[in-house]
Amino acid sequence: MTALLAAASVFSSCSDDPDPVVVPPNESGLIEVNGGGATYPNSVFVSLRSGVQTSVARTTWDLAFSTGSDFKVLINGTTGAMATATTETDINAVGAAEIAAAEASGELVLSFTNLAGIEHVDDPANPLSKPVIAAVSATEASNMVYLLSRGASGVDAKPWKKIRVIRNGQGYTLQHADADATTFSSLNISKNTDDNFVYVSFENGVVDVEPAKEEWDIAWTAGTSSTPYPQASNGTLAYFYQDLVYHNIYGGSSAVQVAEATIPYDDFDETDLPTLTFNSDNRLTIGSNWRGGGGPTSAPAVKTDVYYVVKDANANVYKVRFLSLTKDGERGKPSFEYELVEAGN
Amino acid sequence: MSSEGFAQAVLRGKVVSESGEAIAHATVWLADAKGKVADESGRFELAELPKGAKLKISAVGFETLLTEWPAGQSEGVFALSQSTSDLEQVVVTGSFEPQTARSSVYQVRTIGETEISKRAPMILQDVLNTQVGIRFSQDNAVGASNMELLGMSGQNVKILIDGVPMVGRQGTSNEININQIDVNQIEHVEIVEGPMSVVYGADALAGVINIITKKSADNTWGLSARVQEESVGSSYSPFTGDGNHQRGISGTGKVNNWDFGLGYSQNRFGGWKGDYTGRQYQWLPRNQDFANVRIGWGKDAISLDYQLDFLHETIFSYGPETRLEMLDQHFVTDRWMHRLLGQWDLSSKFALNWQGGLTSYTRDSETWVSNVRTGEHYPSSAPGAQATIKYEGFSWRTIGNWTLGPKLKIQPGVDLNLENGSGERITDNEGMQDYAVFLTGEWTPNSWIQIRPGLRKAYNSLYDAPGVIPSLNTKFRLAKSLDLRLAYAKGFRAPSIRELYFDFFDASHSIQGNPNLKAETSDSFNGSFNWSPKAKGELKTSSVLGFFYNDVEDRIAYGQDPENIQITTLFNVENYKTTGGTLSQTFRYKGLETNLGFSYIGRYNLISEEIEDTPQMVWTPEVTANTIYEIEKWDASVSLFYKYTGELPAYQTVVDGENVTAQEVRTDAYHWMDLTLGKELIPNLNLNLGIKNLLNVTQINSTATGGDAHGGGSSRPIGYGRSYFLGLTYQLNK
Repeated sequence: MTALLAAASVFSSCSDDPDPVVVPPNESGLIEVNGGGATYPNSVFVSLRSGVQTSVARTTWDLAFSTGSDFKVLINGTTGAMATATTETDINAVGAAEIAAAEASGELVLSFTNLAGIEHVDDPANPLSKPVIAAVSATEASNMVYLLSRGASGVDAKPWKKIRVIRNGQGYTLQHADADATTFSSLNISKNTDDNFVYVSFENGVVDVEPAKEEWDIAWTAGTSSTPYPQASNGTLAYFYQDLVYHNIYGGSSAVQVAEATIPYDDFDETDLPTLTFNSDNRLTIGSNWRGGGGPTSAPAVKTDVYYVVKDANANVYKVRFLSLTKDGERGKPSFEYELVEAGN
Repeated sequence: MSSEGFAQAVLRGKVVSESGEAIAHATVWLADAKGKVADESGRFELAELPKGAKLKISAVGFETLLTEWPAGQSEGVFALSQSTSDLEQVVVTGSFEPQTARSSVYQVRTIGETEISKRAPMILQDVLNTQVGIRFSQDNAVGASNMELLGMSGQNVKILIDGVPMVGRQGTSNEININQIDVNQIEHVEIVEGPMSVVYGADALAGVINIITKKSADNTWGLSARVQEESVGSSYSPFTGDGNHQRGISGTGKVNNWDFGLGYSQNRFGGWKGDYTGRQYQWLPRNQDFANVRIGWGKDAISLDYQLDFLHETIFSYGPETRLEMLDQHFVTDRWMHRLLGQWDLSSKFALNWQGGLTSYTRDSETWVSNVRTGEHYPSSAPGAQATIKYEGFSWRTIGNWTLGPKLKIQPGVDLNLENGSGERITDNEGMQDYAVFLTGEWTPNSWIQIRPGLRKAYNSLYDAPGVIPSLNTKFRLAKSLDLRLAYAKGFRAPSIRELYFDFFDASHSIQGNPNLKAETSDSFNGSFNWSPKAKGELKTSSVLGFFYNDVEDRIAYGQDPENIQITTLFNVENYKTTGGTLSQTFRYKGLETNLGFSYIGRYNLISEEIEDTPQMVWTPEVTANTIYEIEKWDASVSLFYKYTGELPAYQTVVDGENVTAQEVRTDAYHWMDLTLGKELIPNLNLNLGIKNLLNVTQINSTATGGDAHGGGSSRPIGYGRSYFLGLTYQLNK
């Protein structure tokens, strides 16, 4: 309750100020994430600094083009998309044979029985470090055609696509078609460095998904995760998890988990910061660790023995703890509260 | 004597032992559920005789006598022979009229009233948990327990109350929850192993458990009350909250041709937290309320018995602590079950009896929200948070009994079963109608052979009912004290409404029923030797050696839909077999009665079809020892119930790249023991105190590993630790 009141007072003091020059960071807040409900249709990006959340349907996009100096393309892990490289560079040459092979092996189905699944998804912890689609080469003939399952995890399955991405100056050209088509479409994409990625939908072209790179700190979404499993490829099994929390590793956020037993949340202050090592290259630092249970014998639940400390791109440091998985009993609407520990620049 | 009394000639009878001594308080049964009790000196009077002048006379310690009043006589003396086995019981399952277990062509196992009262049960599972061949596994997520009979899962067992099938199979195990039955209403339990599908139809594939309720046959009025307080492991608080609390009261009365019964029982199980420290329970708290009304009427050749049972059960599943919103689930079951039993003796050659049931079963899953910060508590309005499953079932079975001669009886019957299921995760359907005719008969060519063939033909509106279902039961009296029973039967299990119409699609599940399923069928062979030698002095013994083989085809199993591999559905694909033997040995010496049981049962290893170097059957033993010692001079008794449940092996596949191998996994063995001390405090008031789960078992380990999200954990809950109980029973009859 105190957190709510504090947040309200910060807001009211802001709005009373006729002409704010600098908006100070929120000192605390309670966010009820609008994940859309029990089928968790949305990915939700939250800025702790402003307390603003942005909900976007997971099915909005298909491919994300990196705006960095490299040329990398991600597939939509939030729908469980999977891809496999073909041996062709001519998109029209890919068709029935490749589809049949992928269907027979089941390699493009994200499930517990697909032990090779991890080879067909972007790295769940740091997708740009190991995307399933090889970095787009300046040598056009090195860029293969990929067969793409657009994902069927918690969303309706759509027909498979075939895609090929080549460079186009400082941008990209995407060639795409239904997997069994004999013609294809092309789309040119230019990088926008205010954003981490440029998002593209096969139907709608460039679409808005993620807020500008400094406008969010943590995101809640369903998506592809991984778990150690000795029998699977690389000892890792890719699977779909409905309560992932990412921090914005490509936009300058870092995060660390703290155990209540080490420093209680209520006692945590800026003097404790030097004891922490923030992580900025594994977006699953919060990941699925904030939630426990879920299985035949235990109900899923927020872990009450851990919380997180998140540093945003402006070096504001917040302590964040998750409160519940539901809103009025409805899954896919989790909530968390946070407090400013140290203001940044 | 008035002229009226003179006109109505009174028939006087006397019950004696073989040596001519009077037997006090024998029960003289005239027709189904009507009877008189003989006095101290074995004498009784009858105002009129039933059709055919048939009598059944039973007394504790004696063989039940089925006889006829001597024609034309006004007095009769009836001699009962001493029981060779104290467990001599009158059974009804599978036969037209009550008969002794020994003369039944079926091998019927009974758990009698004495043993049930010594078990001091809270739930029926407390009575069955030291029976050989019966295993339970707990489904603690929903507070239910699943049963296995001789290696076959509980969905293959038909659960009957007074011959009327129960409705309301629930959960993934598709079973009747036997713990939703009022134990205070149970007179005795009959268990028949092996298919009884000719008479009882679908799902009587592994066997039948027939729960026989108490009747007020011989009293003008009666009153009984029971209170029992029990700890749940070490947690207990008096009468409410923690612990296990039961109270029940029932009354019976008889006016002219009518008799009435009224009963109410209450169970309050406070749950057990186990490893949880917060709000959650490993064994969920459960409240049960049972009410029962009975009205019977009998005159001349007709008897009718109507019963109405009501159950209201709430199981509380408390969610984990959170800092904001906590979710609890309540599973609320309401069941109304009407039963109409009756018999009409049309002539001395032909009689009809019927067993009708009408059941309405609803199970609500309610989700409640508690907001920690505001203190609000309200039902969740989220989609799917409030779910209901509803079953309506109607069943009617009529059997005719036609005596064609002293050696031949035939019993034609019709069996009608209608069931509707609707609710969350079940697609709309028109319900199931099952119409069947069957014909059984019993041929007794001579005094030592009994042959009972049977045939059933059914029509089902939803699935292809199996063709003609045959059965053949035989009994040979090899010697005066040695019987051999041999039987073959075909059994079947109908696909359930859930298996046909399941519809469960959400973000992580895609499961769909298959309306094209057909029944699972089995071929079953079983036999038993039953040896009951004459008593040697005070020592009486009896032995039953049984063996069986079941071969199940078209077993329903989950698989991927070939048209859409994302969808899981059901197919008639698997084979299953069970085989094994059981041995039951009873000793009775003075006040001591001990039953030792042993079974060794093999279950089919499905993986042996793919990986040949694994055995086709995996075997597991069980040992039971149930002892009751009556100390007459103190009006007291000591009872010890014990069971060893042997290690259960199984195989699971291990996939390593291209290699698929089999790995043996084992579920641990465990020992279970209950101890009861009984004492009559004052006449009609009995005290029971004791310890359940004396060996303090909570869970056993399994080496099985779960390969997916729903893979079983490595431990299985068995009990909630050593529990102590104290109970009082008051029973008064006039």
